[in-house]
Amino acid sequence: MRIFLILLGKELRQFFLSPLAYVVILLFMLINGVSFYASISALTRSTSGANLVTWMFRTPWFYLSYFAVFPLITMRLLAEEQKLGTLETMMTAPVRAAQLILSKYVASVIFYIVLWLPSLANLYLFQYVTDGAADVPRGPLIGSYSMVLLMGLLYLAMGLFASSLTRNQIIAAILSLTLILLHYLVGFVAVYLSSARMLDLSEILTYIASVEHMALFTSGLVDTRPIVYYVTLAAFFLFLTHQVIEFRRWKT
Amino acid sequence: MIQVEHLTKRYPGRTAVDDVSFSVGRGEVVGFLGPNGAGKSTTMRILTSYLPATAGRVTVAGHDVFADSLKARREIGYMPENVPLYDDFRVKEYLHFRARLKGLRGRDCRQRVGEVMDLCGLTDMRKKMIGTLSKGYRQRVGLADALVHRPQLLILDEPTNGLDPNQIRQVRELIRHLGEKHTILLSTHILTEVEATCGRVIIIDHGKIKASDTPEVLQQRLRTAGAIEFEARAPVDDVAAAVRALPQVRRVLSDPMEEGWHRFIVRVDTGSDPREEIAALIAAHGWPLREFIRKQASLEDVFVELTQNQ
Repeated sequence: MRIFLILLGKELRQFFLSPLAYVVILLFMLINGVSFYASISALTRSTSGANLVTWMFRTPWFYLSYFAVFPLITMRLLAEEQKLGTLETMMTAPVRAAQLILSKYVASVIFYIVLWLPSLANLYLFQYVTDGAADVPRGPLIGSYSMVLLMGLLYLAMGLFASSLTRNQIIAAILSLTLILLHYLVGFVAVYLSSARMLDLSEILTYIASVEHMALFTSGLVDTRPIVYYVTLAAFFLFLTHQVIEFRRWKT
Repeated sequence: MIQVEHLTKRYPGRTAVDDVSFSVGRGEVVGFLGPNGAGKSTTMRILTSYLPATAGRVTVAGHDVFADSLKARREIGYMPENVPLYDDFRVKEYLHFRARLKGLRGRDCRQRVGEVMDLCGLTDMRKKMIGTLSKGYRQRVGLADALVHRPQLLILDEPTNGLDPNQIRQVRELIRHLGEKHTILLSTHILTEVEATCGRVIIIDHGKIKASDTPEVLQQRLRTAGAIEFEARAPVDDVAAAVRALPQVRRVLSDPMEEGWHRFIVRVDTGSDPREEIAALIAAHGWPLREFIRKQASLEDVFVELTQNQ
């Protein structure tokens, strides 16, 4: 645990003392702001009962910024250590691979959460300037932000895994983006299959489709099935990452 | 301190280390010498449990490096080749991080980091970013990192690689100083380094140990395979014929010099010393002589002989 905390400190330091972090935060806030503006104008034009939060996570702006963020956060993590050779100094110190990987993962999750905090401020600020006229409904808020966190848990684990496979950060970034988009697009395959009347398959795919989960959670419905799904799949990718790092010790 | 028994490491299609056995006792300073690609780094990576062995057993301070890896790692201060470091850390900060990672705490940690910075001459650099340091200082940071947790054993992979002559001397001085208190295994392909710092040399080539002894003994073993050189004013052919007639002589070479003088280089058989006979010959012919020396084989000759003759 002590080793883990020391490593976590090092990872967080490397996150927050690098210019990349602030570029990412800036980019994310910018697109988030546009997405927020788009959702407000969508809301004013719409006649449906949907609320501000629901709209915020449905604009294309949101997904545009959303998927770009994971490769940027995770590409460095293990690829750089391998490139610099610091993985060797790390793994010849009394450090377990699991401690190293978990510290990197937790640091990236913390960074991800920090990334999302300003968007929350957006909502409350809007509520404040409109003097409470704009309602920020509690249910959809909790739902959508926990969905964002859950998807983040999985996609960060995927990104970390991609980063463990190569010493080239660009390759790591492209790999993780591919993995994430593949996972995300499964939801659209489900839509296609249901229109092609392959309902059984479509129904199965719906269970693992992020778009469906998002729709569910943003309406304020917190379902435990997606929670279990994202957490276990994230754990599975962390396990894979561990195997990749430890594989070095098994190959003969 | 180190026990290596029948260590073998195979990569796909290549055997990097081939049935190597050696041991290093407490307090020894051992040089691991070999041409590039001989298997030095691989062996060191196995010793530090970064890589697994294909076969064989390695223990460090009584701990098996594979089964009991964490315990073994605590006893080792390792500086990998090319000294990988995080460029975005300050020197002191980095050493502090490494010290805590290796189990030092609180005041002891701060004190020890101060000590190793002093020892490695880094105190003035403590606030510098590692990325801005020169190669020599990076090397020192690596060394300080290897030392910081007071390990019994130091494993240094090419500690003077890429340094300028002044820096090399400084690092060697430091290693000699450290050798008084630590067991050290260092690898190098520079021969003078071993002569300058090590009590024992292990010569490795193509993954096999070619020799293991003190630098002096190794030189002695091959000393006689050296040469006798003299300068005489005499017809080349006469001298060559006369000297070659001696049974121990293998080859006679000559270089013409000014005014009829020649420099002769006589290669002789291993274990023989025909200096007396040659001197008697020269005296008998009455050739003027102005220099007569026996060239001792340097460690370099030993090295070349051992790593190229097979």
